[in-house]
Amino acid sequence: MTENRLATMPADGASTERGLSRRDVLLAGLALPALGGGVGVASLLVSNSAKAAAAGQCVVGVTQEAVNFNPLLYVNTGVETCVEFTVFDSLWKIDPEGKFIPNLATEIPTVENGGVSKDGLTWTIKLRPDVTWHDGQPFSADDVAFTLDVIMNPKVAVRSRQGHEHVEHYGVKDPHTIEIKLKDSFAPYLVSWQKTSVIPKHILASVPDINTAPFNTNPVGTGPFKFKERVAGSYISFQPNPKYHGGVPKLASLVQKYVPDQQSLFAQFQTGEVDVYDIQGIPPLLYQRAKTIPGAKAVLNPNPFVEFIYFNCGKPQFEDKRVRKALYMAVDRKGWIDAVYYGVPVPTLSYLPPNHWAYNKSLVDPGYDPKKAAALLDEAGWKVASDGVRAKDGVRLAFTMSTTAGNKSREQAQQLVQQNLKKINVEMTIKNMPASVVWGDYTVQSQFDTLMVGWDALLYPDPDYGDRIRSTAIPAKGGSGSNYVQYQNPEIDKLSDQGVATTNLQERKAIYDKIQAILLDDLPFAPIFSYQSIVGVRDRMKGYEVNPYLTSNFWNTPDWTTA
Amino acid sequence: MGRFLVNRVAQSAVLLVGVSVIGFALMHLAPGGPLAMYTLNPTVTAQDIQRVKVQFGLDQPVWVQYFKWAAGIFTGNWGYSFFGGQPVREVVFDRLPATFELMGSALCLSLLIGVAIGVLSAVKRGSLLDHATAVAAMVALSLPTFWFGLLAIFIFAQTLGWLPAGGNHSTDGGGFLDGLRHLILPVAVLALVLVAQWSRYTRSYLLEILNQDFIRTARAKGLRPSRVLVNHALRAALVPLITLGGLQLPLLVGGALVTETVFSWPGMGLLFVNALGSRDYPVLMAILMVGAFVVVLGNLIADILIALVDPRAKIAHV
Repeated sequence: MTENRLATMPADGASTERGLSRRDVLLAGLALPALGGGVGVASLLVSNSAKAAAAGQCVVGVTQEAVNFNPLLYVNTGVETCVEFTVFDSLWKIDPEGKFIPNLATEIPTVENGGVSKDGLTWTIKLRPDVTWHDGQPFSADDVAFTLDVIMNPKVAVRSRQGHEHVEHYGVKDPHTIEIKLKDSFAPYLVSWQKTSVIPKHILASVPDINTAPFNTNPVGTGPFKFKERVAGSYISFQPNPKYHGGVPKLASLVQKYVPDQQSLFAQFQTGEVDVYDIQGIPPLLYQRAKTIPGAKAVLNPNPFVEFIYFNCGKPQFEDKRVRKALYMAVDRKGWIDAVYYGVPVPTLSYLPPNHWAYNKSLVDPGYDPKKAAALLDEAGWKVASDGVRAKDGVRLAFTMSTTAGNKSREQAQQLVQQNLKKINVEMTIKNMPASVVWGDYTVQSQFDTLMVGWDALLYPDPDYGDRIRSTAIPAKGGSGSNYVQYQNPEIDKLSDQGVATTNLQERKAIYDKIQAILLDDLPFAPIFSYQSIVGVRDRMKGYEVNPYLTSNFWNTPDWTTA
Repeated sequence: MGRFLVNRVAQSAVLLVGVSVIGFALMHLAPGGPLAMYTLNPTVTAQDIQRVKVQFGLDQPVWVQYFKWAAGIFTGNWGYSFFGGQPVREVVFDRLPATFELMGSALCLSLLIGVAIGVLSAVKRGSLLDHATAVAAMVALSLPTFWFGLLAIFIFAQTLGWLPAGGNHSTDGGGFLDGLRHLILPVAVLALVLVAQWSRYTRSYLLEILNQDFIRTARAKGLRPSRVLVNHALRAALVPLITLGGLQLPLLVGGALVTETVFSWPGMGLLFVNALGSRDYPVLMAILMVGAFVVVLGNLIADILIALVDPRAKIAHV
């Protein structure tokens, strides 16, 4: 290619060469953006206010992006749960009082109404006959059975089987009745179906690979809103389902807007571009400011997550429960809550938040008492050595504490704990790593010394915690479960088994009271507080109600309105 | 020039294969992995994680995974996002227009302003203007982008309410003007740094040239100073500036990590940040390869342009 062939412009007088001169190239490059800049300034003058959302439209702002809308496959609890609750339905929902309310099912199965057999093994679930999928196809028991097929299909990367591994077999009795037979009596199974959304058989049965089905980004459900569109990296929009069996939604449109930066989302909430600041919530640092925004309020939303210090009981430092207890007493938990989290979270002594129905109200707080803690360590044989750190049989009472790097609140809390422990001659080193590292094998295979984590129960709000405390649930020892602290206690094993096999609520409560008391005494993990997120809601938004039993407040979207 | 092109394309292909091998290896050598995202979800048990691992093929040796990926690329299948399940090609190409819009505007604008400032401060060397722009460029280059972005949002969106705080268009649609209004703040923030760079580069290139003999000759011939500047000095400065432009071309598809995050701009930078955080290997590889491709392409275009504006370069290449 030569210059000549490119030449289309006549040479001007200043240029001695033929064709496109260097100056022309330069000038063209300068003229185009100049034009663009001019239009930009003009548009600035034309409209002069940041536009608030239209009436009847509700914009919910979140700082993480939902990318997979298949309720069985998605990974990111929170933002993707919102989409699930909006587009899909489960057999029953849970209300803010923790009561189950029928959704796709006509009633909650119990022993009394014959839905659950006396031995707790056979579950007969009756379904609503008047439900249709968003594409107009009727919903039936086949869809429920198909959902179970997919959950158990080894070829599908289902995120969690959510208790369905207790199912022995299942069958459709008639188009609106499904019968499920369990291997063992498993009371939390009620929660399994509250957490499992039903997917359409008529769409997915013929799909070769559900993992990559177009359905996952263009979902069809039975829920209150139909999926309208997703603009990648920007927002997802929904339109009301005029045939919704639970009442037609009052909103004209619902939008989940993705704003990755907390400060930016807060700004958009202040300008009214966002009606609800949900899921990750307003940072505690901004709580006071959020309360003073005109035309909006900041609501405290208790959520299922409890913050812990995880002790790896497999490490020599933490074998003795007296050490764990001493460390618990040496940590100023109130200071932690007030200084780092501006007093927003609620202290708890159990793996359950204190507002939970099964929380053991008679637990006694060992309190913040560094003197007693030091005495307890002395008693356990951990004496202060010449280097100023306690040691016993050649093992120093020194360890690392890990959590996600960059989590500023946790980093501050770690420094606080570090100072607290230094006072009783215990050396703690902060060793934080990116999320993809710290929560991988480092956690699962119990390679950590201690962790700072916020987790909830496996099938929350069911109080069962067996997956995290049974001796058979230690992955590092080949077990199946999430007992990363390697806690072993035969009594806990027995009580956990009893707890899930018992269906009577009062009897269950007594069992879980005992479990919580033992755990507070053994302290394989030290409960610090139960989280409350700060949800921002614009005043024009009505009908929005926080639900402490769920990770998403999208449980009653049909009732939402915006003025 | 034909042979030159063939040579360059062949070199580029080898380079891209190298990049893919190194990129893939580094990604897998780095501690952690995509499965940690699952651990963050309390309802997921260790068995679930093992099951998903096999499902994603992550239990296989890295080289097997690489060859599967490479075979996919050659057959047009770039794989599927681990978390979204969508075809990776779709995921990546969905984001390109937004990044192109943002970075294209910012690059054009900064080129215009930056070169102009650079020329002015080179010509009026030592003047108040020269010193003022030097200080301004220093400040612009030292300001953290996220801070400046948040400041812009605070002033123009929160306090004055003139412009939207983020996104690239309103959620209820919005036309061309709506798009422009969303563009102003992020482009201004990006342009600030780019203008600073371009003005400094232009100034130093031009100063170097203005001290050379041929300029003195031109002046001695009695040419008008403007003529000397435009026809002789700027022409010569074009070569290094084109090289620089070629190096900045990848920004057009790479996007800006921080600016896109602060302004919720749905571009490649934001996609990359998210994919990196969740270790979505197929998406990361695709972004890496598209980026590498554009780097190679940008250099190629710069070389061709230089050959066009400077015949000596062409001779050297052929």
